[in-house]
Amino acid sequence: MAAIVFDEVEKTFDIGRVGFAALQSVDLTIADKEFIAIVGPSGCGKTTCLRLVAGFEFPSAGSVRVDGRPVTGPGPDRAVVFQQFALFPWKTVFDNIVLGLRNKGIARDERNKRVTGAIALMNLEGYEKAFPHQLSGGMQQRVAIARAYVLDPDVLLMDEPFGALDAQTRTTMQEELVRIARLNPRTVLFVTHSVEEAVYLADRVAIMTRRPGRIKELIDIRSVRIAEDWDRHERIEDVMDLESFIHWRTHIWRSLREEKSGQDR
Amino acid sequence: MALAALWYLATIPLGLISPGRFPSPIDVWVAFRQAAFTGYANGLLYQHILYSLRLVIFGFFVAAATGVPLGLLMGWSRRAEALINPVFLFIRPIPPLAWIPLTILWLGIGDAAKIVVIWFAAFVPSVINTLTGVRAVESYVIEAARMLGTPRYRFFKEVLIPAAAPAIFTGLRLSLQASWTTLVAAELVGALYGVGRILNVAQQDIYPGMIFVGMACVAAFGWAMTRLLAACEMRSLPWIQTSRVYS
Amino acid sequence: MTGGSPYRLTRAETLAYSATGTLLFLGAWTLLSLSGVIPRQFLPPPYEVAARFIQLLSTPFAGATLLQHLASSVMRFAYGFLLGAAVGIPLGLLMGWFRILDEIVSPIFDALRFIAPIAWVAFAALWFGTGIGGPLLIIFAGAFPPCLISTYRGARFVSRPLIEAAQMLGTSDLQIIFEILLPASIASIVAGLRVAAGLAWQSLIGAELIVASTGVGFMMVQAQLNISTPTVMSAMVAIGLVGALIDVGLRRIEAAVRRRGFV
Repeated sequence: MAAIVFDEVEKTFDIGRVGFAALQSVDLTIADKEFIAIVGPSGCGKTTCLRLVAGFEFPSAGSVRVDGRPVTGPGPDRAVVFQQFALFPWKTVFDNIVLGLRNKGIARDERNKRVTGAIALMNLEGYEKAFPHQLSGGMQQRVAIARAYVLDPDVLLMDEPFGALDAQTRTTMQEELVRIARLNPRTVLFVTHSVEEAVYLADRVAIMTRRPGRIKELIDIRSVRIAEDWDRHERIEDVMDLESFIHWRTHIWRSLREEKSGQDR
Repeated sequence: MALAALWYLATIPLGLISPGRFPSPIDVWVAFRQAAFTGYANGLLYQHILYSLRLVIFGFFVAAATGVPLGLLMGWSRRAEALINPVFLFIRPIPPLAWIPLTILWLGIGDAAKIVVIWFAAFVPSVINTLTGVRAVESYVIEAARMLGTPRYRFFKEVLIPAAAPAIFTGLRLSLQASWTTLVAAELVGALYGVGRILNVAQQDIYPGMIFVGMACVAAFGWAMTRLLAACEMRSLPWIQTSRVYS
Repeated sequence: MTGGSPYRLTRAETLAYSATGTLLFLGAWTLLSLSGVIPRQFLPPPYEVAARFIQLLSTPFAGATLLQHLASSVMRFAYGFLLGAAVGIPLGLLMGWFRILDEIVSPIFDALRFIAPIAWVAFAALWFGTGIGGPLLIIFAGAFPPCLISTYRGARFVSRPLIEAAQMLGTSDLQIIFEILLPASIASIVAGLRVAAGLAWQSLIGAELIVASTGVGFMMVQAQLNISTPTVMSAMVAIGLVGALIDVGLRRIEAAVRRRGFV
């Protein structure tokens, strides 16, 4: 799969005549098959980072490389799961998931096989012919994840994917994501507001400063997770009860607070 | 129902409204029978109706077939929009009916002139609504399609057009209404056949009953076409569940 | 799918493309006209139309100068439009509040609203002859429905809590209508007014084509009978300009109302 490298990346948006500095100087190296979560105060630019890798935006300075090559535009090798789901309301669940494969020119039998597999993986059996508006938020996001997964992408980009879901659905989805991620690991860039979510899911957590953002701190969770064997527990609340979890969660919280207190005016 | 009774009473027994001014239900019935079975203004009622309908449908289709693609182009490409906009801005404020004298000059009072006028009337709403519809598509829908590597043709066919479809249908509805309105007006100004012609002749003949028949036709078909289009919309957009209060 | 819309153009680019478009259009027009592909009689070149337009501002045609014709057209428009608003807005408010009224009026309205305003011309001629009543009726038929509908919608969909608060405070029905419903629906009403103005202007032109003896529409018909194409086109330009001005004016008002921030 692929590694992602942010090399002294700056990003300024032009709003009218004023420049809006979103990213100050971001340096980050994400290893192949690593699950990285980015947390930070609102507006710090974490979504911008994701969009730079996705190819929806381009850096004002510095470079973003995936697998050694600079990003030139969006594509199925860097699949995106959007916060707003971004499903096509006029397509059925099946058609939504299969579109990427059709674009790749994959033969029908192979396509159907993969889609059926993804549907099973995301517990969507029986809903193939449903339309998005007939599904709950959680199910819609599952379709979105299935759509991304079926592409077998080098990189998975998830932009606050569970932000629009209610609390219970959210925890279910987090547990499912962990299950899938451990089953079939790939490079994941996961943007979130929630510190618990980040600590639970990620191998490493990147803390961003407030706008204009840069990486303040990088925390290695993976070694802790393996050492304390978090994966032994199936339920998220059991993991969140562990001392090691609480320790790192609080640490990150405090770090974020420092950033936030600068923001509250 | 109560209204119909009121109408009848006011005109015949009570003579509240003079029959020279407004027809009684009996007058209307007589006129209707005449138009339907004996003929009026050189034709039977159904012939006039068919004549008008033919022109409206043809004109509407040409306008939609030219307007929607142009709207798509202008909505998608800012360059195309900037290029075409000045001409559009120039044409737009001119009321469709204002084209009638010019088209009569160019093409007389035959079918061709009517179609041209209808085109001018129906073209604009199609373009504008399609354009707006394309612009209104949420950016994340487009981004998702790009992320999935959707090639251009498929993108238009399976993403952009369905996304803009509700707005496009609104434009079509307005175009259809404009087509019908404009045709009736054009026929009123000068025509040999058609619903407008009936109205024209009836007015000159001072035949209130027939006037009523003509207007009832205008209303009935205006309503019917709107309904038909709404049904088409329901059929083609199964994923929309919004209901319209007043269309 | 690369690049893709909607990226934005710079102001300079927009200007450049627009200018090119305008020039292409005028150029094609002039070419068609001068080359004789379309007889000059039917398609005069743009500068000829412009010249005629200026000429008409002071030289009478069909009884009056262009400005005078415009004046009488605008007057009729104003009367019809204001009448439509004066009847449509209060009625819409009342219908929005009193269900009974809604149930009585709605069926009648639904039956009548699909009649193209211009179709009233037959009855208009019958009832009013060549007086101002004729065009007025037609313009009213154009302006009234949008005013009624937009006011009705605004009034009916005022948020429930507002009304309940007013009732709790002991506000009378009439007060509620004018002090709650009206301000709350003002945005909808003004939007409706803009649509009504457009329709009214169109209906006016249509009416003048048939039942008038002054006004731009009348002028156009006379020019057409006289086969004076530049005059016809000048009239069209004038009609378009005035229509655009009215629309722009109302848009400004609409934006101002929205800025005041009523709900």
